[in-house]
Amino acid sequence: MSAQLDSPPPAAIEPVTPRVRKDRTGAWFLAPAVVWIILFTIFPLLFALYNSFYSFRFGQRNQFVGLDNFGRLFTDPNLRNGLQVTLWFVLVTVTVEMLVGFGLALLLNREMQGKNILRAIMVLPLFATPVAMGYLGITIFFETNGPINDTIRALGGQGIPWLSSPKWAPVSMMILEVWQWTPFVFLVSLAGLQGLPQDVYEAAEVDGASGRQLFRSITMPLMAPTLWLILLLRMIEAFKVFDIPTSLTSGGPGRATEVYSLFTYRTALRFFDHGYAAAQGFLLLFIVMFIVTILYGRISELYE
Amino acid sequence: MRTNSLSPVQKVLLTGLIVIAVAWVLFPFYWAFVNSIKKPADTFRSVWIPWVQFQPTLDHWRQELDTPEIRRALRNSTVISVGAATLSVALGTLAAYALARFRFNRPDNSFFTTWFLSQRVMPPVVVVIPFFLIMRQVRLLDSVWALVLLNATFLLPFPVIILSQMFRELPIELEEASLVDGASRLQAFFRVALPLVVPGLVATWIICMAFSWNEFLFALSLTSNKAIPMPVIIAGAEHTRGVQFWFVGVRTMLTMLPPTIFALLAQRYIIRGLTLGAVKG
Repeated sequence: MSAQLDSPPPAAIEPVTPRVRKDRTGAWFLAPAVVWIILFTIFPLLFALYNSFYSFRFGQRNQFVGLDNFGRLFTDPNLRNGLQVTLWFVLVTVTVEMLVGFGLALLLNREMQGKNILRAIMVLPLFATPVAMGYLGITIFFETNGPINDTIRALGGQGIPWLSSPKWAPVSMMILEVWQWTPFVFLVSLAGLQGLPQDVYEAAEVDGASGRQLFRSITMPLMAPTLWLILLLRMIEAFKVFDIPTSLTSGGPGRATEVYSLFTYRTALRFFDHGYAAAQGFLLLFIVMFIVTILYGRISELYE
Repeated sequence: MRTNSLSPVQKVLLTGLIVIAVAWVLFPFYWAFVNSIKKPADTFRSVWIPWVQFQPTLDHWRQELDTPEIRRALRNSTVISVGAATLSVALGTLAAYALARFRFNRPDNSFFTTWFLSQRVMPPVVVVIPFFLIMRQVRLLDSVWALVLLNATFLLPFPVIILSQMFRELPIELEEASLVDGASRLQAFFRVALPLVVPGLVATWIICMAFSWNEFLFALSLTSNKAIPMPVIIAGAEHTRGVQFWFVGVRTMLTMLPPTIFALLAQRYIIRGLTLGAVKG
């Protein structure tokens, strides 16, 4: 591995395409998108950085405060709460999605009827408007006569305070997230499994390998890059969570479901503390970048 | 694909598993639908089968579709998603072609690809405040056009990544032949390459529409009245209506139907889209 790093990467790794001679036309094709991103991403980011050094009053820039807004990040109990809620959310939902989604893909990776219908059904949750799911969740988790508690009571149990208890409200929002994104893990792992080379399995089976051995020494190593990739994508998205807790519980009860993005949104657009909100944004960006860098490194290692 | 045969018991277990998974996935859709056609009194009873267990009604659908705010929100959502998807696919297709067919140095092609991808990593809440302040400055608060611009920005990685793969999969000889025949680069792009990726282009456009229809944070931050789209209407609804299951049902259906139908139309490209081209489903 280290020997490879010393020499320039072999030509085969380079993007396969550009056989056309170099000319300036390419820049013209690329320029609009590049300018667009600079204008609508880089510039706002710099503007946010500038704002983070100022205090705000009534939504107007007030005075230069240096790094004060960043200092507040370490002492604010509400921010710590938002971070905690979000970290638990990411940890639990992504773990459940990965286990159930991949598990289901392993079980259903075989010839069967109705495969296309199953795939079509699994695509639906991915594009069901998250904020609408949260809103619908108010009725699904309704405590007096919602369908879940009705069923629990019919079976002789006691209704669960899905939305009014600080212990259960985070669970409810996680259930909705898991509902929405487990099919994604399922579909992508299934696509990955079906792309695995069949002759390897056949050769191993001829050699008398057991099902467990096949799984341990062929399926898992070959699927590892795909699984790490799914993990990365899911973690990035889960850290951004905002829609479901906003419409399901408005962050409540208390602050039990006040995820990071919701807290920052409120800092900025309810309390108009734009400077502090900008600092919060950068902390979240830093955390996500940190995780992406670690996982991305792992993925590129595996792909080589 | 493994084809080893299953014992009858395994077959039954597997079928049961599929049934449970499908029921779990479809339940919220059915719940929304069934509530939307129940009379208010029936929403308090656990009844599930229209005509057999209860008499369905379309009254709530009619009422909601006659509400001016809902009609306006549906119109706004349509303008935003069509506008943003079109803009980002237009910009993205050009960039995708550039990355697929030209070699750039300092920064090189893979730098640009990563750079476009990194757009998806950034949590939107980081830039929502500057966007709010900028839009206030240029008097674009509460305007659908502000949302068209912002959604187009955040969608851009999808067309860039997906279409640059598709351009790479085209045999380059076709374009080379047309260049030899005296066509300009632009003509080779528009007359030869572009028509060949139309299916993928349309699918990408549809996926982008679904994404921007569902977008909530920017819409919530930048609209206050006349530009409010469906997701924002729905988020504020329980405060004005109380929890009335039948309205929740109709509004959820109205909001979710367009993007889920889009998703079904573009199904073949969904995996590719959602993994930003890393896995082809």
